[in-house]
Amino acid sequence: MKTYGSEPGAPTPQQVQVGISEFVVTDADTTLKSYGLGSCLAVALYDDQAEVGGLAHVMLPSGDEAGSEPTNPGKFADTAIRALLRRMVEEGATYTDVEAKIAGGSDMFEFESFGEGVGIRNVEAAKSELEKLGVPLVAEDVGGKKGRTVEFNATTGVLTITVADGEVDDGEGAGVTEL
Amino acid sequence: MRLDTTALGTFHEMAREGAGIAAGRLTGIAEVEARVGITKLNFVRGNEIRKELAAGGEKVAVRVELSGAIEGHSMVVFDADSARRVLETLLGEEFDDTAPAVADGEDAAVDATGTDAGADAAAPAEFDELSQSAMEEVGQIINSGFVDGWADVLETAIDMTTPQFVQGTDPEPFLDGIDTTPGEEDMAIMFRSQIEAVGEAIGFTHYLFPDHDDFADLLDRLRETEGIEYDKLVGFDRMAQRGAEEVADNISTMTGFDTEIELRRLNFVPMAAIPQELGNRQLIAVAFEFEGTPSGYLVFCFEEESAATVVEGMLPSAPDDAFGEMGQSAIKELSNIMASGFLDGWANVLDTNIDHTPPEYSHDLGAAVMDPIVLQFGDSQEFAFVFDTHVQAAERGFDVEIYAIPDEDDLERALSQLDVDRIDDEPIEADFPIDEA
Repeated sequence: MKTYGSEPGAPTPQQVQVGISEFVVTDADTTLKSYGLGSCLAVALYDDQAEVGGLAHVMLPSGDEAGSEPTNPGKFADTAIRALLRRMVEEGATYTDVEAKIAGGSDMFEFESFGEGVGIRNVEAAKSELEKLGVPLVAEDVGGKKGRTVEFNATTGVLTITVADGEVDDGEGAGVTEL
Repeated sequence: MRLDTTALGTFHEMAREGAGIAAGRLTGIAEVEARVGITKLNFVRGNEIRKELAAGGEKVAVRVELSGAIEGHSMVVFDADSARRVLETLLGEEFDDTAPAVADGEDAAVDATGTDAGADAAAPAEFDELSQSAMEEVGQIINSGFVDGWADVLETAIDMTTPQFVQGTDPEPFLDGIDTTPGEEDMAIMFRSQIEAVGEAIGFTHYLFPDHDDFADLLDRLRETEGIEYDKLVGFDRMAQRGAEEVADNISTMTGFDTEIELRRLNFVPMAAIPQELGNRQLIAVAFEFEGTPSGYLVFCFEEESAATVVEGMLPSAPDDAFGEMGQSAIKELSNIMASGFLDGWANVLDTNIDHTPPEYSHDLGAAVMDPIVLQFGDSQEFAFVFDTHVQAAERGFDVEIYAIPDEDDLERALSQLDVDRIDDEPIEADFPIDEA
């Protein structure tokens, strides 16, 4: 196979996109990004001593309730948190040093069939799993009726949340928040 | 010949795996990070494949003939701009990008007839010999990625001929010599994939034109349920068509805009890909839940500018804030009428009743608007049929994208009950416009 020349240019800080139902753990200087979270929830775990962190973009509250061990742990809040933590410890994190931040879990629409809101259920499921595992939740930006884009610096643990400026009448401001 | 969602899910897996193999190999040769973007299955009629190849200007394709477990042709088609991006990535400074981005219609048409496999035929300047051979290599990598995916599933071997480079602005050079292309009214399954490299999406379409009997065998092997008759897929197409026509008419009536159906397509995609596709764009979205056979969700998405245009078109005088109370109510009213029209179109084709809720308005990121809806399907459904429709009034700078996501079981039931003969009695061809590029 021929080898063509690679793209020239300075190396840029690496950014990895974390799609729905995915989770990524890294010990490199990498920004993990999930865009357009509505009712989905971003769960960020990090050990800033070991400089290992991970981000999960979860879709549904409970894999345990869904029955048998799901093939895709990143899809559910509970299974994603466990999988993140396990992978981080494998990468050198100390379990007891790991802290958590969460963002997302909005309820964008009020259809009757949506019930109490899947966004809120995702938030509650994540909190309950973190508590069960003894991982402190140090910051959160959840709920409301707005979409969020999050960027997570896995080594420093800084979670940056950008909110769209399209909000109209709910008094929720636009802008960027750092947790 | 019957198919079910398990078989389609397997097709999707194969396509995604094929795209993954291709992306990996591209990373290898180009030394750039290539990753798989969205992969979709499409259901289209033969005549739409021809329209699609005719639309949107010049295209470049690499095709191979298959033999062995599957007989037929595999073809990867890029629009000229995507091809240029591929070449810029692969060839770097060696790629001569001084030539115009798209050859003008007349020249390209002449070139198309004379272009053949790796021949010295006159190609537009922008695809010189080096470019052609690089495109052939890329096309070969993608074709072989897909074919390897299929062969893995079939646990057998599929042989490919050497790649053939094709270039043109009309369908003829692309379909020339392929006797397994679907007839005008026959339904085909197509694979649409994206590979993202160096921050840019390189979109391409992968056409597989298999021998009918091979394809029927394959579907039978993959199918786990009774499923539906393959011929009933024509009902999908009719649903998409009726829904789109109703919407286009509604917009014209309400706003006075001269509308046209830019795109209507039925995709089979993983749930998670639905928000991903709308991405980080700021949109005005109006959502409905519908109940009946089928049930599901319907979302109208407007770019901010288009939504403002609608508001101006519907209100006697433009309000200070296009998205204030007056504006929102105008957008919701139009969407409500479009929803009724769209779902009536479906109900007529399926001979069922479909009701919908009042509109829910949101002004936010596209992905954020769509993910709550995807979540409603919970863990029960891994893939969805998404009716993707795009209606525009080009002169007014207005367009609306419509996403209809029916419950899979409901849709299967509705299609099973569908009397295909009754459909065939209805007029086949509507005014689905061809982009005369």
